Amino acid sequence: MKTITDLILKMGKTDRRWIFLIIALVTLLPLFFPIGLPIRATEQTRVVYEAIEQLPPNSKVLLSVEYSPATKPENHPMTISVMRHLFRNKHKVYITCLWPDGQFMAQDVINMVAVDEFNLTYGEDYVFLGFRPGNEAVIKGIVSNIRKLYTVDVYQTLVDEIPMMDGINKFTDFDFLFSSSSGFPGTIEWVQYAADPTGVPMSSGVTSIQVNEVMPYVQSGQMKGVLAGMPGAAEYEALIGIKGDATSGMDAQSIAHIVIVLFIFLGNAAFFIERKRSKKY
Amino acid sequence: MIWKRQIPILIVTIVGLLTLFGWFIDEPTVESFVNDDATQWYDILASFAIFLGALNLMKMQINKIIKKKPGWIYSIIAILGFIFAITAGFFIKGVEGVEWGAHVTTDGTLFKWMFDFVFTPLSATMFSLLAFFVASAAYRSFRIRNFEASLLLVSGIIIMIGRVPVGGIISSWFVMYILVLALGIGLNIRFKNKMITLAVVGGGILAVTTAGMLSGWPLDQPSIFYLPVLQDWIYFYPNVAGTRAIMIGIGLGIFATSIRYILGIEKSYIGE
Repeated sequence: MKTITDLILKMGKTDRRWIFLIIALVTLLPLFFPIGLPIRATEQTRVVYEAIEQLPPNSKVLLSVEYSPATKPENHPMTISVMRHLFRNKHKVYITCLWPDGQFMAQDVINMVAVDEFNLTYGEDYVFLGFRPGNEAVIKGIVSNIRKLYTVDVYQTLVDEIPMMDGINKFTDFDFLFSSSSGFPGTIEWVQYAADPTGVPMSSGVTSIQVNEVMPYVQSGQMKGVLAGMPGAAEYEALIGIKGDATSGMDAQSIAHIVIVLFIFLGNAAFFIERKRSKKY
Repeated sequence: MIWKRQIPILIVTIVGLLTLFGWFIDEPTVESFVNDDATQWYDILASFAIFLGALNLMKMQINKIIKKKPGWIYSIIAILGFIFAITAGFFIKGVEGVEWGAHVTTDGTLFKWMFDFVFTPLSATMFSLLAFFVASAAYRSFRIRNFEASLLLVSGIIIMIGRVPVGGIISSWFVMYILVLALGIGLNIRFKNKMITLAVVGGGILAVTTAGMLSGWPLDQPSIFYLPVLQDWIYFYPNVAGTRAIMIGIGLGIFATSIRYILGIEKSYIGE
């Protein structure tokens, strides 16, 4: 028994570089050798899916991209899946960005989904309005008069010359909003300044760390569900039936979480043994 | 003095009052100012702020290099990076036939190259480090020291396991067995009586096994012990209650600060 407790104590004082190495290994190995754990969609992901599924064909959907490469593994798969779902259901997609980096992320998704997969026509099926500085003021501008805020699109084409922009003057001209967000300005600002005051339905995909912040808006009905981090993205991929990066990342995340929980147990075991011994002597 | 003190305070008071009452006054001119003009002004000011920010950044970094302050070598990299970004953004596109502005996101341009091969790996690396620090911090400081810490630890574990697919394959019956054993450990620590511990653990295991055999061991039933359902409940109720309390506090704080600005009591923005 003493040998075991000594071993636990010794492990409790492990150099943190060993922990880093173990985490790196348990994250990398499932990426190379996938386990294929079954993915079960949670209620919130289903609500997002149903909200988009129930939109009538040719609905005008505003897709706002506000994340940077730092959270790409979480936000990018959900943006890709939502765009796939929107185009599959023949909706018109208008893309804006509240973050400058979002413009690059959005362009990447457009190239992958709209151009390569669906071979859609720019200006007729989708339009890329891009980034404008001003945070909440940009949202307020879109709500009151989008034409004043965006006179040209990302490719410097006059907005008045884009066929899809006919009849689009303010936020209430859209049928739905999806915000793919990883912080400020993002989902919360869209709820506060656009969706809630105008009544236009919205959903969002956020990073895991942001979920607790946006949950009050989901519970109150101001948002139709939420895609919560990489698991939310993987669940959405399962619902639309096209596996992507989030699905392959879930094995790695599952194993990493289990290892962290084991570390916590081990750390606590060492803590209790140490406390018991210090009381004894 | 009037230009540095009274005039800025007057502008803040007037604009603050107009923006505040714009939500309550049904007058087209005021509404148009609040919803349209004010946001346009903000956009213009934000654009100038970018210039000011860039100048300030350069001033600070150059100052650091001249005075050879600790880490001055990194300031050289910051300045070189800044100059490179400005050059790629305003002077050299790298590809012909692409409009200025559109070149930022067009493949093959210098700016896009910089974003893809410098900025993206750097920011991804910084964020990835979080996973290692979270694991190390959890190992070293997530301790069951008191009731609150235990509650936090248990909720954290339920969220961590219940949120990922592996949580979905852990049967609620397995969780019930774990709970029975945990109850046994708790009773043993409290009463130090082997008979009570044995009776509770034995009775618990028997009860769970009988219930499982009668119901056919469904993976997600009883749902209260199924980790994905449990984590959903934690997110949706205790978490929302806590977050709402924080949000209401922040809201009241913002309201109080705004009133102080409008009334001219808060003057930190003019350096007082």
